[in-house]
Order: sequence, then structure tokens, then C-alpha cells
Amino acid sequence: MREPNAVDFWRGLALITIFVNHIPGNTFERYTYSQYGISDAAELFVFLAGWSIGIATRNRDGSPEPRLKSVLRLLSRTIEVYRAQITTMALALGMIAGAALFLDNPLLLEWHNAGGFFADPIQTMVGFVLLTHQLGFFNILPLYVVLLGIAPIFVLIGRVSRVAALVLSFALYAASLVFEWNLPSWPGEGDWFFDPLCWQLLLVLGFTMQDWSRTSPWLKRWSRRLLPLGLVIVVTGIVLSVLELRPDPLLVPDPRLVFTFDKTYLSPARVVHFLGVLLAFQAVYAVLAPRLGWVTNFLASLGRNSLAVFSIGSLLSLAAQLVRFWTGGGVVVDVFVVGSGLFALGFTAWFVEWRSRKPRLSSP
Amino acid sequence: MVRRMALPQTAALLALSLSLLWYRSGESAYAQEPAAHQDPVVKQDPVVKAVPPAPTVVSPPSVVVAGQGADVEAVDVALSPECRVPGSKLYTLARLGAVKDALKENRPVRVLAIGASTMGLGASATYPVKLETALERSLTNVDVVVESRGLQGEIASGAGERLRSMVAEVEPDLVIWQVGSHDALARVDLEAFGSALDETVQWIKGHAIDVVLVSPVYTASLAKDDYYTSLVRKVQEVAQREGVPLVQRYEAMRYLARSNDKGEGHLLGTQFRLNELGLRCMAEHVTRAITLSLLQPDPVSTGTAGRPALTLAPPNDAVGAKPTPPAGP
Repeated sequence: MREPNAVDFWRGLALITIFVNHIPGNTFERYTYSQYGISDAAELFVFLAGWSIGIATRNRDGSPEPRLKSVLRLLSRTIEVYRAQITTMALALGMIAGAALFLDNPLLLEWHNAGGFFADPIQTMVGFVLLTHQLGFFNILPLYVVLLGIAPIFVLIGRVSRVAALVLSFALYAASLVFEWNLPSWPGEGDWFFDPLCWQLLLVLGFTMQDWSRTSPWLKRWSRRLLPLGLVIVVTGIVLSVLELRPDPLLVPDPRLVFTFDKTYLSPARVVHFLGVLLAFQAVYAVLAPRLGWVTNFLASLGRNSLAVFSIGSLLSLAAQLVRFWTGGGVVVDVFVVGSGLFALGFTAWFVEWRSRKPRLSSP
Repeated sequence: MVRRMALPQTAALLALSLSLLWYRSGESAYAQEPAAHQDPVVKQDPVVKAVPPAPTVVSPPSVVVAGQGADVEAVDVALSPECRVPGSKLYTLARLGAVKDALKENRPVRVLAIGASTMGLGASATYPVKLETALERSLTNVDVVVESRGLQGEIASGAGERLRSMVAEVEPDLVIWQVGSHDALARVDLEAFGSALDETVQWIKGHAIDVVLVSPVYTASLAKDDYYTSLVRKVQEVAQREGVPLVQRYEAMRYLARSNDKGEGHLLGTQFRLNELGLRCMAEHVTRAITLSLLQPDPVSTGTAGRPALTLAPPNDAVGAKPTPPAGP
């Protein structure tokens, strides 16, 4: 178990934010930082995933591990994430169907795109394993599977030239933005909620910046100097989101996705805002960590076990939604569901680490 | 997707329907149809009779008295037998200018269907496909292209935001929005829901795109839920305030629930069969509301253009023009 660090800390915060935001309508939603900016926790999560790839594919002394080992490591992680997605989706569908039966309420079956599965299981089962049928709020892991799947290409190119990896990534991003390339949803119409062809930019940015920050004093110097710019961007983001000012997608010039604040295609405004957040908050961890005490340890423990915490968090969000609907909601219910959810997330992280410390449990 | 080229007859048909309207406007027939007619079976329009190739679009809903003894309301026989609901329970109508323009210009009508359940039953009969088929059957010789998108759980202004992206992507003439399911499940504050819906509908209309709202489903366990029925009423209010047609899925399914009650009581699964029926009928119900809304008169060019279109066909059990408040079974 590693000591708390900035990456795990922020990833822990992103996980909690995603958990709370995935209970739409709850009281605490308006207190998450996602409500005060153009980008949100998803950007942070994907960027930090890229950053972690940078750390994971290098030895402690910073020398790159053998190529094949990196490729196999990423492949193994892809399989792990895929397995997590299939498991959480199956459990989510079971929870929705169970709640619909228990409450005698078919409306629940339409929840978050689940209707397709219950109405047309033959096609949807295929879409389910192909990740082309996604439930609402269960669409980040499919993105992550694809990103990890294509990560070896960028990692290997990055070994030769970081600039080449960035240029390739940016070119794919720009083309997808202009031509609206996305992976299709199936069955049903439409596309993926998170377009991997666009979102890969953040993963590659995270990966190359980790590498760069390790070796380049230039990057460190300039990120300090640009801190005021970061603050300006963050304040602008707060003003725009509080006043709900955003471009009208039917009035912007073509290609429209370049000018809107589109989440699916990760519009440039979101990238710029996220980079601004990064600049503004680069030194905050060092200031906060010693002062927050157990909160630092808590967030870092979530971040260290992000896949397990994210998966359980998705299911807890769904459970919280069902409880809110069943009970009618209200502040007391919100305090209960969010509070017990945070406790369960903490327990999940602890449990995963406890299990890995005791590798040979005797089977019951 | 069923794609057919629009034929030149379209303009003629439209002109026909418009002239028909002009002819009928004195009677204000649509304001009272269909239940208000005492002798509904013999109700026939002379103009329709006079023009043999009249398409379905111009036939006003002929009505028969439902067989149920307790319920002497007239059902709209233009619908399939299992989907028959009195028009007053089914829709409120308003003008659909953008679709009319598309018909006049003889180009395909692009429809964007948005909602929680964009899927139907079985691969060959999904809701978008059924909707497209039903619309093309109703608007003869018109090519209708239906695109459907599911919302992934967004609520209130978040749903509006998502909808804007979808509209910008598809650039439709008409948006059919099944609204409110996710909001109901998230127990969104009703005022916040209403104002977000108002804002989004205004935005769509502001871009010269038509909107038809579809209220959330009816199910027995929710009929006693005050919050839920208030939300259904909110959708009605917004539709009326913004002057857009509304398909009263809640009312229609409640009607079907009563007429389909075979004395099973509240056995597990009854509501699920009703839900299936509701989904199956939705394409027809939506089509009916659109077809009749297309017969709404154009606003007179002198001064009334900015006024929201009248919401016609008030439910017969409501006072004045107020929509039926959803109630328990």
C-alpha cells in the first residue's frame, strides 16, 4: 500500500464527485465542483488514468519497462475493466428489474436506457457484451476499456517521441470533432455517451505530461508561471456555469462541436477549462494534505483502489436513486444515502487492500 | 428505415387539408371533438366524401361509443382496436408550423424522437420504426425520417442541455419528446422541472422546430403518488402554456387500464402488460396527435402570429380549457 499522494487524492475526490453526481436531484449535487465549471470529474478521472499509465509502465528509477511487458500490463488492465463493466451492468439491470417487480412499477424499467434490455433482450444482450449498449451513468467504463485498449499504441510511440504521440492523439481528436466520428450505440440509434476517439486526448495528455514533468524543469517552471492564467480560467468557468451561459449549438458556426460545450465529444472549451483547473490546483495538494488529516488518507485510499471503488460507487448511486424514488426523497434521505454510500466506498477500498494483504485466504 | 421519396401530390394534399380546415373552421369542430358529439357514428365530413382519394390526414376522427357500460365515452376508431382511446383523453392539439412547411416544400419530414423508452418490443417493431411507419401511413406520399435518441438519465436543465446537442446533430423539423420519466424517478423539484421544460420548449420553437410533448406512463402504483400526478400535470401545463401538442400517454394508458381490466386485481405483472400495451400504442397515439395537429389553422397574418396556438380538444370532464388533472384509478 503506497502512501497518500496527489494523484490518488484527486482521483479519490473525482470518485466521490462522480458518486454524488450520479444520484440526480440529490441535495449534495449542487455542492460538487462539477457544478462550478465547464469540465467535470470525468475529465479529471481520465486524465489521471493516463497519468497512472505513465507511472505504471516505468520502473521506480524512471526507466521504461520492456515494451512487451507494458503491452501485456495494459491488456491485463483492459480485461479487468471490461470484467468490471460487465459485472456492474448485470447487477444494475438486476437491481432495476428487481425494484420494478417489488414496487410493481414498470416505469423503473425505462430507467437510464435499460428499457431496451428488457424489451429486446436478444439484440441487447449482444450489445451488452460488445459494450455498445450502455446504461445511463454506466458509460465511463466502456470508454475506459477502449482507451486502455488503444493505450499501448500511444505508449509505444511515446517511447520514441512524446511529441509524436501528442500530435497523433490531437489529430485524431480534431478529426473526430470536425467530422463527428464516434462509436455507434447498438441496438438503438445514436452514439456513445463518451466518444473514445475524442476522450483519448486526455489520456494521452496525462500520460505524456507525467513523463514530461519527470524530466523537464521547463514544464515545471512554466506551469508555475501560468498559474494566474489557470485561476482566470477557473473563475470564468464558475461565472459561466452559475449564470448558465453557454453557446447555443444551433447558432454556432460549423464545425459546431468546436464551439459548443459538448461532453460527448469533449469540446475544446472543456479541455481548456480542465487545463486551467490543472494549472490552478497544481500546488493545492501539498498545502491541503497535511491539514486535512484523515480526509487525505480516506480520499487517497479511494484513489488507490479506483476501479473497485468506481464499480461499487456506480451500484451505490443506482441503489441511492431507487431509495430516493421509493421513499420520496428529501434532505434526510439524501443525508442517509450519500452518507452510507461514502462509508461503503471507504469500506470497499479498505476491503480490497485487506484482501490483497492476505493473499491466501482458505476457501470456506 | 422506411424511406420513400416525397411525391408532388403532397402539396395538393396539404392544400386540400387546409381548404378543408377553412371550411370547417366555422364549426369549431376540433374544439369539441370527439366526445361532445351526441351522434358520433354518423359524423361524416362532406368534403372528405366529395374527394375520393382523400388521405387519412384529412379524415376527422370518427367516433363510436365504447362498449363498456360504465364508460360511455367515444373512442377514436382511427386507432387499432387495442389502442382505442377517446381523443379527449389522448391529446391536446396545437399548430405544427415547421412540419407544414416541410410538407409545402415537398421535402422529407425529419423527426427526432427523444425519450426514456425509445425501444419497442422486438427487433422488427421498435418505437421509432413503428412511428415512422404510422406517420407515413397517415401522411400519404410523405417521406418521414425518424431518428431516435435515448436520454441517459439527465434531468431538468441537464436533459434540456442534452436535448440541444441532439437537436443540433439531427436538425429535425419536429421533436417528439417523452418527457418526465427520469425527473419523476429523481423526484426533481416540480418548479425546477417546469421552468427547465418551458425553457427547452421555447428554445426548440425559437429555432422554428416543432415540438410534441408526450407525458410519462401511467401505472397503478404511481396513480396514488401525488408527486407523480403533479409532474404529469406540470407537463400538461407547459404544453398548454407553450402552445405545443401533447400526447397524454398517462391519461391514455389509464383509460386502457380500465377498459382492459379483466378482474385480475393487482396480480404481479398486470402493470407490466399494460406497460407493453402502452408502448405498442404510443406510436399510433403520437401519430394521431400529429396528424390532427397538422389540421390546426395557421395563425392569421394580422397580429396574432406571435400568439401561442390554441390548445383545443379539452377533455370532456374538465371545465373550460383546463387539461384533465391526472387522478388515481
